[in-house]
Amino acid sequence: MLRSALSPRSIPPVLIIALVGLPVLVAIWAGVTAGGGATWEHILANRLVPYTLTTIIVLAISAIIMLGLAVPAAWLTSLYEFPGRRLFSWALILPLAMPGYVMAYAWADLMGVAGPLQATLRDLTGWSARDYWFPNLFSAPGLAFVLASTLFPYVYITARAAFSMQSLATLEAARSLGTPPLGLFWKVGLPVALPTILGGVSLALMEAAADYGAADFLGVQTLGVGIVRSWTSFGEPNTAARLALVLIFIASAFLLAARVFQGQRGSQQTSNRWLTPRRVPLPRVWGIAATGLCGLILLICFFAPVSRLAWLAVETRASAQDLWPLVRTTILLGLMGTTGAFLAALVFTLSTKRSALLRLGARGVAAAGYAAPGVVLGLGALFILKVTGQALSGTIAIAFLVWIYISRFTSAGVEPLQATLDRLPKSLDDATRSLGSHGLNQFVRVDLPLLTPGAIAAGLILFVEILKELPATLMLRPFGWDTLAVRAHAYATDERLAQATLPSLLIVLAGLAPVILLSWRLGRTERN
Amino acid sequence: MSLNRPLVATGLSRSFSGRTVVDRANLSLEPGLVTALVGPSGSGKTTLLRMLAGMETPDSGSVQSGDDLLSGPGAFVPIEKRRIGLVFQDFALFPHLSVLGNVMFGLQKLPKPERLTQAETWIERLGLSHRREAYPHQLSGGEQQRTAIARALAPDPVAILLDEPFSGLDPSMRDQVRTAALDAVRAAQIPALLVTHDASEALLHADQIAVIHNGAILQSDAPDTVYREPKNAHVAKALGPLHTVDRDALPDAWQAQIDGGSKKVHYRPEAIRLGDGLELTISSMSLAGAVTELELDLSPTVKIIAVCQPGRPLQVGDSVQVSLNPELVFDFA
Repeated sequence: MLRSALSPRSIPPVLIIALVGLPVLVAIWAGVTAGGGATWEHILANRLVPYTLTTIIVLAISAIIMLGLAVPAAWLTSLYEFPGRRLFSWALILPLAMPGYVMAYAWADLMGVAGPLQATLRDLTGWSARDYWFPNLFSAPGLAFVLASTLFPYVYITARAAFSMQSLATLEAARSLGTPPLGLFWKVGLPVALPTILGGVSLALMEAAADYGAADFLGVQTLGVGIVRSWTSFGEPNTAARLALVLIFIASAFLLAARVFQGQRGSQQTSNRWLTPRRVPLPRVWGIAATGLCGLILLICFFAPVSRLAWLAVETRASAQDLWPLVRTTILLGLMGTTGAFLAALVFTLSTKRSALLRLGARGVAAAGYAAPGVVLGLGALFILKVTGQALSGTIAIAFLVWIYISRFTSAGVEPLQATLDRLPKSLDDATRSLGSHGLNQFVRVDLPLLTPGAIAAGLILFVEILKELPATLMLRPFGWDTLAVRAHAYATDERLAQATLPSLLIVLAGLAPVILLSWRLGRTERN
Repeated sequence: MSLNRPLVATGLSRSFSGRTVVDRANLSLEPGLVTALVGPSGSGKTTLLRMLAGMETPDSGSVQSGDDLLSGPGAFVPIEKRRIGLVFQDFALFPHLSVLGNVMFGLQKLPKPERLTQAETWIERLGLSHRREAYPHQLSGGEQQRTAIARALAPDPVAILLDEPFSGLDPSMRDQVRTAALDAVRAAQIPALLVTHDASEALLHADQIAVIHNGAILQSDAPDTVYREPKNAHVAKALGPLHTVDRDALPDAWQAQIDGGSKKVHYRPEAIRLGDGLELTISSMSLAGAVTELELDLSPTVKIIAVCQPGRPLQVGDSVQVSLNPELVFDFA
């Protein structure tokens, strides 16, 4: 183990481990050593406690909403047959294509005073706008709802897997003992599947904690928002660093929880299988109720917001003209980031095949990058710039931005590659070498062709993740390098929602590609 | 052509974190013969194979192919330079290559036309001609198996090592595949090692059997010799059922037939045969594979095990006459 860890072949992975791990380490270091400037009492009382509390409240509410959305839907589509079951089975993953901020813009418009919901209410009742109370999206519960409605598929996917696989035998045993359907759910299905489901919830909460765009747009003072404000508006880098430390702690705690719940299998939803027991057809009325429930979830979390954005774009005749420079920048940054993160992921996957030590290091930093929200990594980059005395402009800014993309998303690229590699017979490596092929020859003739499907998936996922990324891009992009996400956010927070619709729709459209890939893979395991 | 040299391991040892897995193992594999390496799981079979192949570095001892030192003091030829063919339990075929592509994989050093002819020769020899364009996932288990063997033999290796190659196959087709595959291996006239935990497979198909226990090779001989003249109880147990009985509990006539003087003697169930001799009562019986196993009351406290063909009209409580075949009774004193 040590022998292979010290050979010259281990230099590239070690360098890449350092590259991927540095920003988050710098952010942690800055948080731990922060001193001077604003006093600690001030930070604690005015920043740390309020931001942390808000974040925890948002996460708690959104956990409850996610469970309420995902678990019944997963239970129904796993165990029962009802009209539309096949369609819902995969379509319930679609909301993953919507970044939180896009969901927030759409629902802000839908729920606004002038929006269709309130207008319909007034038309029906004859009230005026002051006569009634209406839920306010610009609040902590509002943000929780928005985040839950884009992230609940994480819970849905794990719950589906849990209901289908783990509890299969127990469910059939309970059925044979005459347990009624509701009893089956509360007494057997849920308790058995709960650890797995909580794993999915932890993962979704880690993503929710990383949100910046939705919270900023809705004016909810979460840690992510606090970090950016402390740096840019208050001029308090130390406060930003301390807040980042808390946020890293929360996010890593959720990642750790997810790993513990899912038994070290990490966030690899694709490896869960949907092999199901024979589904029981629901009686007519209940069948329609099930269809209605799943349809409603899909309407709220995907079709209503997307069609509202599309309708707004058409109605206001949003101009596509100034869109092209944004698309160009987005694709350019996306390609640079994807190439970098992909190469890093490839080096991780291949070079760690034979060294447990390197594998541990690579997994560790990749997980750290994955758990660290974009805001935190952006902050890490800003500290590095400050220490090295570089200005945030031109090529340097782009280089740092791509670096942060690599740091944040390498783990997303490792997963599909590793999954492809894990599917191959373990002895393939030895077989190849026993036939006289090794080193570069082995890479070209065996590793590369075998990794191609995983590599395509990895590239696609990386590109879309980078395209959706908001906070780090916002913090680090040089002048004239606005991406679709950055511009959509700028328009939306400027209350020019109509102009934010087209970039937002493009982001959703791009986001659909990996989601469809994922649902196709899950569907394949279901058929098998 | 390879020079048909033996592959010889001398004093090979390997330990992992303080636990000795292979302990001064000696093994000589002769060209043209299939040697089966038999032992229970965890006995060090796979580690020994991995050291022969160059996948594992020995702590001490040497591996030689003829006069060439492959592993030894100050020498280690890596797996890719060793020219030893390997067949794995999971076959390890390249999923992105056809049967032809798989078999041609190790022939890279040859000019293209020769590569093709040589691959075709092996594909034909293993009866895969009609499947040459198929991909591994389209092949049956037996076809995958034969492709793996053709791939390992095509580059003209100095030896071939097969790691539990038949255990993944459907039992109904295993025998047929096994015979055809091992015939092709023998025809290559190189040393062949068949690692297996299945004693009957070794007894049926190997030319030589080496029994490994706790990392050490205890005996290496022709199948019949190993079965009939095991050097100790571990060897005997590795090759089939073995029962133990106190010598004193046996009737005097039987005791006189058995050499040695130990208190305990070991016997194969076939040693006790139905036929004229001692009359004993059946206390229980069960169908054990192709034979019926009878438990007989030798005395109120001592039972012995015998086997007979199934289908005999016997019942528990019946009396039967049995005789002893002393050749299958062992005294390891």
